[in-house]
Amino acid sequence: MSITNLLTNWSDFRQQHPSAAHPHREYKWAMSIDLDSCTGCNACSVACYAENNLPVVGKEKFAHGHSHHWMRIERYWDNDGREFADQGAQFLPMLCQHCESAPCETVCPVGATNHTADGLNSQVYNRCVGSRYCNANCPYKVRYFNWYNYPTTENVWPEPMNQQLNPDLSVRSKGVMEKCTFCVQRLRASMNDARTQGRLVIDGEVQTACQQVCPTGAITFGNLVDPSAKVGKQWKQQQVDLNIDKQPKDAEEKAAKLRGYRILEELRTYPSVMYLEQLRESAV
Amino acid sequence: MIENSFNRRNFLKVLGWGGATAALSGCGNTSVEDGKEFVTSYVETADYIIPSIGTYFNSTCAQCDAGCGIMGRVREGRVLKLEGNPKASINNGKMCGLGQAGVQAHYNPDRIREPLLRNGDRGEAITWEKALGLINEKVGGVNAENIAFLTGVVSGHDKALLKNYLDALGSGHHYVYEAVAPSVIRAANKKAYGVEMPRLRLDKAKVIVSFGADFLGAWVSPVHFSQQYARFRKPDSGERGVLVQVESKMTLTGANADRWLAIRPGTEGILALGLINALAAAGLSVPGDVAAAVGGYTSERVSKDTGVSAEHIGKLAALLKERSPSLIIAGSAAEGYAHGSQNAAAIALLNQILGNVGQTVEAPSSTPFPQMAPTTGNRLALQSLNDNMAQDKVKVLFSYGTNPVFTAPATMKLKENLKKVPFKVVFAHYMDETAVEADLVLPLNSAMEDWATVIPEYVAEGAQLNIRQPLMEKLYPGTLGLGDILLGLLKYRRPDEYNGFEDFYSYLRNAMVTNKDALGGASKDGDTFWEAALSHGGVKMVGEPVNLSGNVSATTLVVPAPFVEDATYPLHLIPAVSASMRDGRNANEPWLQESPDPLTTIVWDSWVEMHPKTAAKLGIVEGDIVEVASKSGAMKAQAYVFTGIHPDVISVPLGYGHDAMGRYAKGVGANAFKILDPVFDKETGELAMHETRVKVTKAGKRVIIVKDEGPAGGNQMGRKIAVRLTSNKVNLSEEV
Repeated sequence: MSITNLLTNWSDFRQQHPSAAHPHREYKWAMSIDLDSCTGCNACSVACYAENNLPVVGKEKFAHGHSHHWMRIERYWDNDGREFADQGAQFLPMLCQHCESAPCETVCPVGATNHTADGLNSQVYNRCVGSRYCNANCPYKVRYFNWYNYPTTENVWPEPMNQQLNPDLSVRSKGVMEKCTFCVQRLRASMNDARTQGRLVIDGEVQTACQQVCPTGAITFGNLVDPSAKVGKQWKQQQVDLNIDKQPKDAEEKAAKLRGYRILEELRTYPSVMYLEQLRESAV
Repeated sequence: MIENSFNRRNFLKVLGWGGATAALSGCGNTSVEDGKEFVTSYVETADYIIPSIGTYFNSTCAQCDAGCGIMGRVREGRVLKLEGNPKASINNGKMCGLGQAGVQAHYNPDRIREPLLRNGDRGEAITWEKALGLINEKVGGVNAENIAFLTGVVSGHDKALLKNYLDALGSGHHYVYEAVAPSVIRAANKKAYGVEMPRLRLDKAKVIVSFGADFLGAWVSPVHFSQQYARFRKPDSGERGVLVQVESKMTLTGANADRWLAIRPGTEGILALGLINALAAAGLSVPGDVAAAVGGYTSERVSKDTGVSAEHIGKLAALLKERSPSLIIAGSAAEGYAHGSQNAAAIALLNQILGNVGQTVEAPSSTPFPQMAPTTGNRLALQSLNDNMAQDKVKVLFSYGTNPVFTAPATMKLKENLKKVPFKVVFAHYMDETAVEADLVLPLNSAMEDWATVIPEYVAEGAQLNIRQPLMEKLYPGTLGLGDILLGLLKYRRPDEYNGFEDFYSYLRNAMVTNKDALGGASKDGDTFWEAALSHGGVKMVGEPVNLSGNVSATTLVVPAPFVEDATYPLHLIPAVSASMRDGRNANEPWLQESPDPLTTIVWDSWVEMHPKTAAKLGIVEGDIVEVASKSGAMKAQAYVFTGIHPDVISVPLGYGHDAMGRYAKGVGANAFKILDPVFDKETGELAMHETRVKVTKAGKRVIIVKDEGPAGGNQMGRKIAVRLTSNKVNLSEEV
């Protein structure tokens, strides 16, 4: 890509994301997470470690904030000063939101993180120089930096534990930023299969590791462009529009509310993950 | 020369060999060039194997006793990841984090790789022939009465073989021990419903009141219950189920409750009777003898005794009356007291009064092969083994699937009594606390290398026999499965019967194929039946439905008054069973150590949970190292202050504090099993896990707790991150 080409055709490369003028063509991967089903059990997080070659950093490095949980469960309390947390906790599975207008992308000095045509916020490890600007700019704090060369660090993958590593994706080395990829290795395998057969990926054909393991089925993942996909139906029913930063339904005063929302939407990041609000019974 | 013969093919040959040589010599391995080793072409591959494409094989998870069906993803001969088997009725393709970590047990660097015989303080590697010969010699040299076999839960063909071996020895001393098990609940269920573990239909219930049953985290079959829970919360009708959790220390299930009621420890039975009284007052028809028996449990009295407000008791009774069917579950928090059986009976009575028996409490099926049905364990078994060891009645001890030196309270003096046993054989995966004490350590295959059949205690539908099959070649030639070891030992004793079987696989296959008619394979030939069983990960059997019978008699039901406070040991200790750590057997799997505890978000250490009020009274802040002392011992850990616990209670997680086992488990945290007081349930004789009273003092040091939550400690600081809504504002039936 020459710089002349880049500048001449700027709008093709970097339009104002997202835009109705440039809709996603075949794929737009998106997720929805039902917080009323999520029990905070951490199965998704462990599944992510298994699928994505995440290093176990140990107590000391964890204390320094060096943990690598691409999928983590945040736990909030809503006590309002009451003596007990008598309505339980609020669990929130937090992962890369794959923002359509991602703050991390604009600050990368080397273009290591950028948007793919199918709507992923991708991270090119080979291009990453470790400036960590993206990490600083991410409002969700879902980017994880390799402060050490974990493959050679003691007790991270000692023999024979290294045999468990998933060969479908790389093991990252020191100085590289990493984050949730929506299990891009699974997506690519399934998209390639579909293309070979001259079709598009069918809803349910590909699952992310966290979605696959979730005991309560709280996570739905799929192609937002596909009208038959469950994830798209959920977004539509909840009246959450990917391309706008203030959902009209939030301004309406209605008796029956819709649960869908996106986190920190007001920052105009246009996240690809919709959450459904947790519910609590008022009769007890 | 180059002009003559240089073409593309030769060029690639040269390039390829050059590359290969560079790569191989780089590894210090030149055996291919030396001709010592052959390179086998992938052109002729084994069946089902395509390089770089994962193949899935079904098996059964061994991380806990729930028996979920799993699929192992195998690539180039290595198992990479475990997924749930979508056809398994227990877990329907889902898994928990504990199950996922099964691969880390398999690839664990601290596994024992060959049989070890004690020589002073060291273990000397010996061959299996020598090991099995030695065992046979030792068991032949003592009276059969003095041989004891201690195991965890066993079922399937392992159990049948074990029984045959014990029969061959002439000894019936099989002790089945589970460190954390719902033993009192099983006994109470047997009385109330006629079965130890009825099927609980969470998905049919409109209201669930759980007395400390952590069914989403660590209780009985959490992955199965989690799926039912999802349907309970979002049924097709859109009428969202209501969960009320009653307990003194918040569990994962409590954290998901619509109302979490912090109850004074041990008063669960009183609340159950109070609810029956309130229901009767609200007009629910209650038999006369029950009404008379609970008449004294007025809201005011129950509220005073339990600490649950009269308002909440009233609301809960109204809800239970209005929405039917409901489901009342008694869990570990209710059973863990000297009057645990009475608590459980009172809770069962509540189920009975509400008409839930037969509705949400269903009958399970019996298994057509009772000799393979699971034998569940309890702590009483360990107690009697311990007594026998103390009286020098045990000369040869086998231990499989348990780690009693780690899980026995210090007051049992189990480690000392173990020294009185002249010959101790421990079947082990790691050099854990019990294996360290052994005279002979037999290294086991991992669950990913082993053959077995498993019948879980809690089966979701019908009757089933799950198969565990190897997902890959053994990592170490020196390990064996339990089945193979027992078969080897049986060959000494009953050669005519067992010499025909080359290994456990051939025994198992023969046993299954011979009985294929009863295992649903009547119409298939032997090979087809066996292949189908392996490919499904198990077989369905036709079991007889067991009728629910039994009754709780209200007149004989006595629930004692609440505790008298103890001035020296003012706090109650609740040893918490967490979803990842359980009884500590999986502590050497690093994913689990680094997976934050859901409520406190703490990793890689033990902690002492306490309420802010308690902490303020004792002058403790988060991170203070505190000493927790009971009559039976003391331990130190960091304090964590939060509002999910009753002020009279502190809680310490179990499973931490190993002083052996492996690099990830050793020295992490402190062992709460050790300080438990010897108080027992009066009816069953089980150890009352929640009866220990403690005092907490500052030990002087303060640390920064290593945890996942940020400095705001679970406060959203006004941002809209995790949002909560009352359920009557939402129309769930319209949702996708």
